[in-house]
Amino acid sequence: MIKIQDLSKTFKSGEHDVRAVNQISCEIPDGVFCAIVGKSGSGKSTLLSLLGALDRPSNGSIEVDGTNIAKLSDTKLIKYRRDSIGFVFQNYNLIPNLTALENVMLPLEFKGIAVSQRKIRAEKLLEQVGITGIKQERKPGKLSGGEQQRVSIARALANKPKFILADEPTGNLDSNTGKIIIELLKKLAKTANTTVIAVTHDESIAKNAQMTFTLKDGKLVKN
Amino acid sequence: MGAISRGFKNAFRNGVRSLSVVLILSISIGMTLIMFMSLKTVQGKIDSVKSSIGNTISVSPAGIRGFEGGGDLLTNDSVSKISSIDGVSKVVTTLMDHLSDNTSLQPSQDAGNFGRRQQMSTNSQINSSSAPADSANHEFRMPIMVTATNDLSSIASLNISQLNMTAGEKFDGNSTDTVAIVGSELATKNSLTVGSTFQAYSKDIKVVGIFDAGNKFANGQFFMPIKALQVLSNQQDQINSVAVQVSTVDKLDSVVAALKTQFGDKADIVSSQDTEKEAVAPLENIKSISLYSLVGSMIAGAVILFLTMIMIVRERRREIGVLKAIGSSNVMVTAQFAVEAMVLTISSSIIGIILGTFLSNPILKVLVSSNTTQRTAGSAADGHAMMMKMGASVVSGAQGALRDLSATVSISIILYGLLAAILIAIIGSVIPSFIIAKISPAEVMRAE
Repeated sequence: MIKIQDLSKTFKSGEHDVRAVNQISCEIPDGVFCAIVGKSGSGKSTLLSLLGALDRPSNGSIEVDGTNIAKLSDTKLIKYRRDSIGFVFQNYNLIPNLTALENVMLPLEFKGIAVSQRKIRAEKLLEQVGITGIKQERKPGKLSGGEQQRVSIARALANKPKFILADEPTGNLDSNTGKIIIELLKKLAKTANTTVIAVTHDESIAKNAQMTFTLKDGKLVKN
Repeated sequence: MGAISRGFKNAFRNGVRSLSVVLILSISIGMTLIMFMSLKTVQGKIDSVKSSIGNTISVSPAGIRGFEGGGDLLTNDSVSKISSIDGVSKVVTTLMDHLSDNTSLQPSQDAGNFGRRQQMSTNSQINSSSAPADSANHEFRMPIMVTATNDLSSIASLNISQLNMTAGEKFDGNSTDTVAIVGSELATKNSLTVGSTFQAYSKDIKVVGIFDAGNKFANGQFFMPIKALQVLSNQQDQINSVAVQVSTVDKLDSVVAALKTQFGDKADIVSSQDTEKEAVAPLENIKSISLYSLVGSMIAGAVILFLTMIMIVRERRREIGVLKAIGSSNVMVTAQFAVEAMVLTISSSIIGIILGTFLSNPILKVLVSSNTTQRTAGSAADGHAMMMKMGASVVSGAQGALRDLSATVSISIILYGLLAAILIAIIGSVIPSFIIAKISPAEVMRAE
């Protein structure tokens, strides 16, 4: 369960303050596929950064299983990100000179898992998302957009996270491939009891979600 | 695949850039090594020249050099105080004289044009001071030089570079006997053998030995015990020059100061190290050039690497954000980039060491030749008189050292090269690490 209370994030823009996230309060239960929709500039990515502990809020709290992650020290935040969260980005953000397998092994390496175990787990994860055989040894430049996103999802799942935070996961994909990716995320949410929070401006994806939050000018309008 | 192997892989990620950086850095490291080897080689030579020259101080009467100049000679009394100065290990005294009419010896050298010219110059001075009118009609003979000493083993004081006895033996320098060792040319000219006598100063002088000093001029003279010559030539108590041997280099300056205090302006005091300074000046020049170049090359290498790493970190800013987002700490990311820097630097060092090995001698020879032509002419002219006293071996020793300079590559120098490379890598990686630490993982959420 994620409990968000009066969450705000303010940025300085020239002489003015911009409230990218403005007093958001909500709860997200475990294991749901949740969509956060809104137009460009509505604060979706900022909210995702805060939920993913990539940034600290200016005000408010984010409680995850009783712990307020907004108050964690830098070292604990790194650990929290590593163990509890998996990221899926619009631009995939795979390391270009590592193979698909090596990319998925990265979070396992950061956790300190032994090399041989890393490899076995990474292979299984890639198989789960449909990347098998020789494709596991290819670098991202030799994979299609959809395949890269699958690798990205496998990487996100590496450390068995509580949440997967996906920022416009289908933004760079065609509609068919996008649908496949969303289905994959939904399936994984169910089978692994992982909460999936996907930020999107695509209303069609929101329709597939169990929970949808709409953001407008940093404020939440729950559907 | 850990941070180390990722860093290693990343070093070759951009082939063209990595190759360019490695080439430039290898020149910098190679130059650092060449200058370091040059520095060590030259310092070694300077030390060996200094130790071969020894610790000698020359004391000459002020205004007098050999038979030139004017003024008063040094006295027995003043010289006897030298031995009591702290640090003095030996005192060698010499007295010189010319014999022309007052000897039965015939000179071994013909006057030639040079000799006649010197004689005409002397005669014109004599004529101008109302000398007998027939002095110009005297048949001209070359004067014969006699040098007297209290120590025949100090050959530098005798203005010769070698003293090989071909017959007989050397005399005791402290003796008052009217004995002499005669140069081979003079002995042959006058049919002298060991045991012969010749006349000088209206006295019989016995030949106890015959020597070869290596050249015609030196072999045309004879040596006597100083006390004997002082009596014979009516120069009692007179001394032309003193060579003071000091026990260690450390005491040189204090002994020079004590001598200057004792003699004031009555004597010129010159230490071997002062004279040697002129002779090793080219070596010191090369040493300075090497040192500045060494420092310059190292700084250039560090700057090249530093700028390259800054460029790489900025280029991969987003990637660094991703690594942090998926759980990497600042330390792990920095380690990865440090390994990349180290790989570039060590690759450059290997090429640089090879360059240094092959180019150190040619470059050292260029440095030597550009310094030798500027300095040797000057030193020969300036230090001539003192060189006469100290011995030609000082100058020739230093010039020989210059010619013999050659850098040798040893394991320790290669290790120094690698150490320099690692230092450059550390300097080049440290500052980019601050940039890495400042990159926020939230940056990955921003659109490209």
